[in-house]
This record gives sequence, C-alpha cells and structure tokens, in this order.
Amino acid sequence: MILCDTDRKILHRLQSNLPLVSRPFLALSEELGIDEDTIIERVKFMIEKGYVRRLAPIINTQAMGREATLAAIKVPEDRIEEVSTVINEYSGVSHNYLRKGKNTSIPYNMWFTMSAKDDEELHSRLKEIEDRTGLTVRSLPTVKKFKIGVRFKIY
Amino acid sequence: MTGKKEDIDVKLIKYIQEGLPITKTPYKDIGEALGMSEDEVIQKLRELLNAGKVRRLAASIAHRKIGINANAMCVWRVPKERVDEVGKIMASFEEVTHCYERPIYPDWEYNVFTMIHGYTDAECEAVIKAIREKTGLNDYVILYSEKEFKKVGVRI
Repeated sequence: MILCDTDRKILHRLQSNLPLVSRPFLALSEELGIDEDTIIERVKFMIEKGYVRRLAPIINTQAMGREATLAAIKVPEDRIEEVSTVINEYSGVSHNYLRKGKNTSIPYNMWFTMSAKDDEELHSRLKEIEDRTGLTVRSLPTVKKFKIGVRFKIY
Repeated sequence: MTGKKEDIDVKLIKYIQEGLPITKTPYKDIGEALGMSEDEVIQKLRELLNAGKVRRLAASIAHRKIGINANAMCVWRVPKERVDEVGKIMASFEEVTHCYERPIYPDWEYNVFTMIHGYTDAECEAVIKAIREKTGLNDYVILYSEKEFKKVGVRI
C-alpha cells in the first residue's frame, strides 16, 4: 500500500468539503485527531507526489451555464496517437480514454468528454474534430443524472 | 443576475481551480491575492456551493496513483420504463461513482452508463454481478480503459 494510515484518513475526509472556516485544517484536525501542521504537511506531500491532483472546487459545468457531452469515436488502430493528439488539444476536453469492450465488441474505442460555453460552441468543436480527423463523432449527452460524485473508498 | 456578481464568481473560481493554497488560512490568502476579505471569500464559496455551481470543495484524487487501477465503464441496455428504477439501484452502490442515462442510436443501444472504480478488475466485476442480481439486467458491456490520454478536472 502506497499511503500510510494518516494519509488515508486525511484523503478519505478531503473527498468531502473542506470546512468553510478561517482555519479549515484546524477544523479537520479536531475531526480526525491529527494535528493541523501534520495535515498541511501531508496534503502538500500528497499533492507533490501526485496522489492528489489538487484541492480545489469541483465545478458543475452545467450550473455555470456551460454545455457538456460524452463523445465516442471509432479510431483505426494505426491512427490512435494522431487522433488523441487532435482531441486533447481542446481545453474543453477534460478526459480522453481508449476503451475496449470486455464481453462484447462495441463500435467505438475512444471516449472523451467535451465542454463548451454553449451548445453551439460544443457542436462546432465536435464537428471540427470530425473535419480534422475524417471520423464520425458520436455525442452522448446526459439525459438524466442518477449519480455524480467521485469519492473513492480509500483503504 | 448582475454582470458584476458573475465576474466575481468567475474570478474566484479561475484563481482557485488549479488548487487552493495549502496554508493555515487559505481563504484569507486567496482574499489577499484577489482584493477580497477572508469573510467575502468564504461567503462567496458558500454561495457557489449552495447554488450548485461548485459541486464540492475537495481533493481530486489521482486514483491510479494510489492503486485504484481498475476503472470500468459498464453500459446497460435498459427498457425505457425501467430506467428510473434501475438508475437508482445502480447509484446506490458505493463503487459506482457516476450513473447517467444517455441517448441511443441505431449502432448504440446502451442507454444507462455506470462508472465503477476499484482496486482490481475482479472488484469491479463483483459490483457488476451484484447490480445484475439486483436488477435482473443481463444486457451490458464492460469497457475497461486501456489507456488514459488525458485526465484533468473541468476548468472554466
């Protein structure tokens, strides 16, 4: 296991809101029984080591008035690097994965999320990717949300 | 909606979206950089959270780095009239981090998407099995990520 007990305890707690008080890490120290300086030091360490990407606001794109979608594309094996480079250039792309069906084959292999300031910009960017790659982009926007909340079980 | 209020929201989020200062008084330090008082920063963040513009003020974990290596996107073909019932069941699993209904197309008939994170593929598949048992659904595909090309948080 990469993380020690103290780190796991801190990380588990930090997946929920940081207290909105003057000394948030002091408030956490009371909750966790770990002193404030240690928490600050361990959080800095985990960010430095890359275990924590950042401690920051997790933005709701739609509530901020932006539009977003999950897009899927079928990319020939020999064009994967090239096409992923094109897609990743867009700042609205927050993630991009190559995925393979385990039990059944599926028609797409590259999956990415794209957000833009409005629907028009979103669609023009997807269209631009189609034009630049010559491939069809399938847009799968959310119809209904049942859960969003990446909190990992840390153990 | 006043333009000025929006500007402060955007200014604040833009300043902290790469990460809060990890100091004893992060809100005071943010305020000093932006010409706001500590109380104003706290109040503004509280408003953004209450309005749902910010989902959480929290740590984003590099899950692969801490050993959560399996990340299965499991897509399900669910009859339209069962989507609500089934979506709620799927969302109730701790390992299911995201659950959405998405549109179908002639070449794509899977309308419910679940993201499942675990330390191993077996752990993800045990969750999928439990979902199948609980919902009676058997038409699904497990998509494992073979390669991560990009993973950053949403920015404005």
